[in-house]
Amino acid sequence: MHLHTSLRRRTPGGIVRQLAAELPDGATLGGLLGVLDIKPKGLLLVVNGRTAEPSLVLEEGDEVHLIPALSGG
Amino acid sequence: MEIWRVNLRSGSLQRQAMPEAWARLGGRGLLARIMLDEVPPECEPLGPRNKLIFSPGLLVGHMLSSCDRISIGGKSPLTRGIKEANAGGTTGLQMAWMGIRALILEDEIPAEGLRTDWWVLHVSLAGARIEPAGDDLIGLGVTASAARLRERYGDQVAISLIGPGGEMRLSAAGIQNLDKDHVPSRIAARGGLGAVMGAKGLKAVVFDAAGGARPPIADPQAFKEAQKRFSRNVADHPQSGLYRDYGTAAMTLMTNALGGLPTRAFSSGRFEGAEAISGEHMREVMLERGGESAPTHACMAGCTIRCSNNYGGQDGKSLVTPLEYETIGLMGSNLGIADLDVIARMNREVNDLGLDTIDMGAALGVAVEAGLMAFGDGERALELLGEIRRGTPLGRVLGHGAAMAGRVLGVIRVPVVKGQAMSAYEPRAIKGTGVTYATSPQGADHTAGNTVRAKVDHLDPGIQAALSRTAQINMAGYDTLGACIFAGFGFGVAPEVVPGLLNARYGWKVGPDILQVLGRETLSLEREFNRRAGFTAADDRLPEWMTQERLPPMNGVFDVAEADLDGVFDW
Repeated sequence: MHLHTSLRRRTPGGIVRQLAAELPDGATLGGLLGVLDIKPKGLLLVVNGRTAEPSLVLEEGDEVHLIPALSGG
Repeated sequence: MEIWRVNLRSGSLQRQAMPEAWARLGGRGLLARIMLDEVPPECEPLGPRNKLIFSPGLLVGHMLSSCDRISIGGKSPLTRGIKEANAGGTTGLQMAWMGIRALILEDEIPAEGLRTDWWVLHVSLAGARIEPAGDDLIGLGVTASAARLRERYGDQVAISLIGPGGEMRLSAAGIQNLDKDHVPSRIAARGGLGAVMGAKGLKAVVFDAAGGARPPIADPQAFKEAQKRFSRNVADHPQSGLYRDYGTAAMTLMTNALGGLPTRAFSSGRFEGAEAISGEHMREVMLERGGESAPTHACMAGCTIRCSNNYGGQDGKSLVTPLEYETIGLMGSNLGIADLDVIARMNREVNDLGLDTIDMGAALGVAVEAGLMAFGDGERALELLGEIRRGTPLGRVLGHGAAMAGRVLGVIRVPVVKGQAMSAYEPRAIKGTGVTYATSPQGADHTAGNTVRAKVDHLDPGIQAALSRTAQINMAGYDTLGACIFAGFGFGVAPEVVPGLLNARYGWKVGPDILQVLGRETLSLEREFNRRAGFTAADDRLPEWMTQERLPPMNGVFDVAEADLDGVFDW
């Protein structure tokens, strides 16, 4: 998954903006946010190029973007 | 507030009280009203019957955060319809402090044959006078021109000026304004208003508000309270911090994730080099380089969001200020260039020529399609920009923007509507913004109503017209207030703030929907001007190829129904 802008994580190894996660079958996007301790408010959630709701059930290999939403440039 | 008219042929100034019919408008809305009332819609944009109008919005003059923008308008030589382009900086503030709601420049300074002389219009409370720009300014880039004008007129003035692009009457030429630090970086870029100014014979307009004052406030206490609420809302909004830290460049990875980042001449919506041109990477580069690099900067005196930046090179010296998302999209991914330093050098050059980076990036994409450069070849792109500086025929073709470049070079894959290039949101992936591109009276322009923020399926054609309608109405309202789109962080969460500020400032009694009332009125006036200029529903369409050619990786075409496009303004 991709952590945009302010969701980046500071680690001893430097700033991390991409993570892989192992989730149980049937895990939802909302569940993933819970594991990461990230609240969905104000986020644009994008899975495989499409906007998604927290209730979306994730599948193996899904590409997830967690994006603090922006209004444009 | 007054209307000031300068007849450029005679040099005379006429000051008049605000006509009653114009009294409740400013900025974009007032421009539309004046255009409809006074400018023949069929006129030649570069001829004497067109007018060039400067108007600060209704809330300008009080250093409210993000609310001191200047709107500049006229009939566009690019779209051949109505045009408003707005910018931050200090011009709006100085005009408001002189009590000028609109400065209308009429006719043109006479020239025999092709113009070889340019002039400066100086506006102060003592009146308006026209002075020779001087041979040293002619053909000079915007940066050096602004420096010489500051030497001549001092550091307290605001300046609107054109570069070589405006002097050459290129259709992608804009009008630059000084930011609060006197850098001529705030460009009213779109639609060729710089060419209108050049055609009128003006290199610069200098606004000197010495002796002026903040505009009067009918109810200071109520204004103070509304301002406090607005400022707190802006400060507390989570997006304010994002724009402060990452600038608009934070959009790069967001649109890339949606498959909507224009890539290689609008042939893909995802760029493999997006990370290298992202706001996240740009911030790290600027922090690491230090020196004059600054990831956050305010373009207007009162702005608390500070989304602007100063991008420095490896030597720590400023390369360009600001480096923004639209430029990164059109001159970076759109050209297959994944190097912020190269994009910054191109940005600097285009700014100095006084041109619109969006239309120039799109024109260079057309140049790639025509075989004049390869994707990723930034040095060649800089050479082509050099052709514009030298005024060669090829340079002039490019300087007229993507539509002209496509016509001359025989390329039909051109991303324009009404002749104006699209911004960095692929309309086949972010279809609501595509509806705005298609239907806005301004031509393709994300600032007329961007829908990328909405939590919707951006690929679903059935829901986009309604989204665009709301966004276009709100944006036309903001542009009439003189508010930056990001001031919406303060207005959106508390809609009572807009009527609160207006009622306190003017002693009006406007209702809670005033933003939408202003927006709808503005759009109606603009559409009527365009109708009289000959526009029809056929002009409210995306280019045909975008309805046929699938855009990877989401593989969408632009398939919003034509009936939906035709109904956007049915309210």
